[in-house]
Amino acid sequence: MKLGFLVDLDLCMGCKGCEIACKSENNVPPSSWRLRVKYVDAGVFPETKRAFTPMRCNHCDNAPCERICPVSALHYLDNGIVNIDKERCIGCAACMMACPYGAIYMDPETNTADKCTYCAHRVEAGTQPACVVACPVQANIFGDLEDANSDVSKYIMRHRDTRVRKPEKGTLPKHFYVGGGEINLNPLATTRPSGYGLFNNITHLKHIGGH
Amino acid sequence: MSFESMVVDLPIFKSAVVSLDVAFSGVIWGWFVTMNMWAKSVGTGVFFTGLYMMRKYPKSSSFFKASIPLIGLVFIGITLLFTWLDLHQMLRVWHMFVFPHLTSMVNVGMWFLNLYVLVLVLLFWALIKQNDELYEKVLKPGFIAAFLATLYTAGLMAQANAREIWQGPTELVQMLLAAGMGGSAILLIIGHFSLNKDEKKTLAQILAFSAFISLSIYVFEIIFAPQKTEEAAWVIHYLTGGELASFFYTALALGYVIPVILVLICQKTEKQSGLLLAAVISLIGLWMAKHSWLIAPQMIPLS
Repeated sequence: MKLGFLVDLDLCMGCKGCEIACKSENNVPPSSWRLRVKYVDAGVFPETKRAFTPMRCNHCDNAPCERICPVSALHYLDNGIVNIDKERCIGCAACMMACPYGAIYMDPETNTADKCTYCAHRVEAGTQPACVVACPVQANIFGDLEDANSDVSKYIMRHRDTRVRKPEKGTLPKHFYVGGGEINLNPLATTRPSGYGLFNNITHLKHIGGH
Repeated sequence: MSFESMVVDLPIFKSAVVSLDVAFSGVIWGWFVTMNMWAKSVGTGVFFTGLYMMRKYPKSSSFFKASIPLIGLVFIGITLLFTWLDLHQMLRVWHMFVFPHLTSMVNVGMWFLNLYVLVLVLLFWALIKQNDELYEKVLKPGFIAAFLATLYTAGLMAQANAREIWQGPTELVQMLLAAGMGGSAILLIIGHFSLNKDEKKTLAQILAFSAFISLSIYVFEIIFAPQKTEEAAWVIHYLTGGELASFFYTALALGYVIPVILVLICQKTEKQSGLLLAAVISLIGLWMAKHSWLIAPQMIPLS
């Protein structure tokens, strides 16, 4: 079994239901995200368009975070999920240096690294990740990539424009995108002017202990 | 963080603007990690330089014999202290020993550093017991331990897949050259009043040689070599024309250019005071260069 994700960017409408479901399910503290939806505004008025891109851990087959973790806090599960053991993590942040997707954050409450685990606890119980359940348009598709009859495998086979983020990094992500364009997946294809964002004054929790 | 300032000359991208995302996490590995790398350069460099000087000047070997374990222990102590302080869960540092993950250069490096500490402790023991036989015996494995402790950081940075420019093979050479600079500079400072002219001259030559080669690599890597990825090109832009430019150029001037010039002048005029200045500013510049090289790749958004 090799669990994977696919997001149909043509379906996603940026409602952030997945983001909120994830936060609620996993007790993600304020100012931290395991999953978030990025908004990109493209074009010049009146020819404008807003693109939405849900982003989470890619659960790479060749995960640099797993390799660099000095204490195996980041580890593979048998189903392919890259899981994290917060009790073992020493908070060195090497995984944050290694992850090319910026998917790992330092939890300000526990002072340990954290990230999306594809809701490993729910998967173990035989249910779908919280974000999949919450999506009103079924843009999030989850399943076994090694099972040709799984929804995610069928989706990948039906669509020719399936892509992954930063394939040149050699990480072999198990998280795919259908639709969208360069501005969805390439962080350098967009600008980030300060003061333009919808939320500008994000308050960061101060780390308890640590530094 | 004015990321947009980098893209004003790229009109093709100007129409796509991120209007909602998580706040940019910024620099995660900051000056604590710089302290690690800088102090390690001095702590291992003093072994290489001291050993060379012991062999070249056997009559003055007692100074270098004492310098290796004493300076080594102080600076490797600083390295370990800042590495520990940088952990968000400092009290779990023992996990490194009981849950070792040996594909990680963080873990492997920790073993190398501990091995080097053991070597330094043995050298210190041999020094205070005046046991020259033990001292000589420890030097060979000590050289290997110092070599590994110097180089592991390059392996660690190579594993940091998200951070462009850290993966270059020249990192290995830069680590060794930094050790050459750090070791010779600290010995020039400590031995300013006790070393003779020839010994200072040799140390200054090591400093100038290391700084010149290191500077050449920086210049050729940054100015002449085409960057292989868009991310790398942007990181280099940050260093050479962006927010870090003045800091980085100051680092190159203080750490590399001025010390080389000072050493060349002192070699001709036989003046020794310039060598002390060269050594001090080279250590400052080395810290700044390490710091800018560390934080620049952390200044581009990953998502």
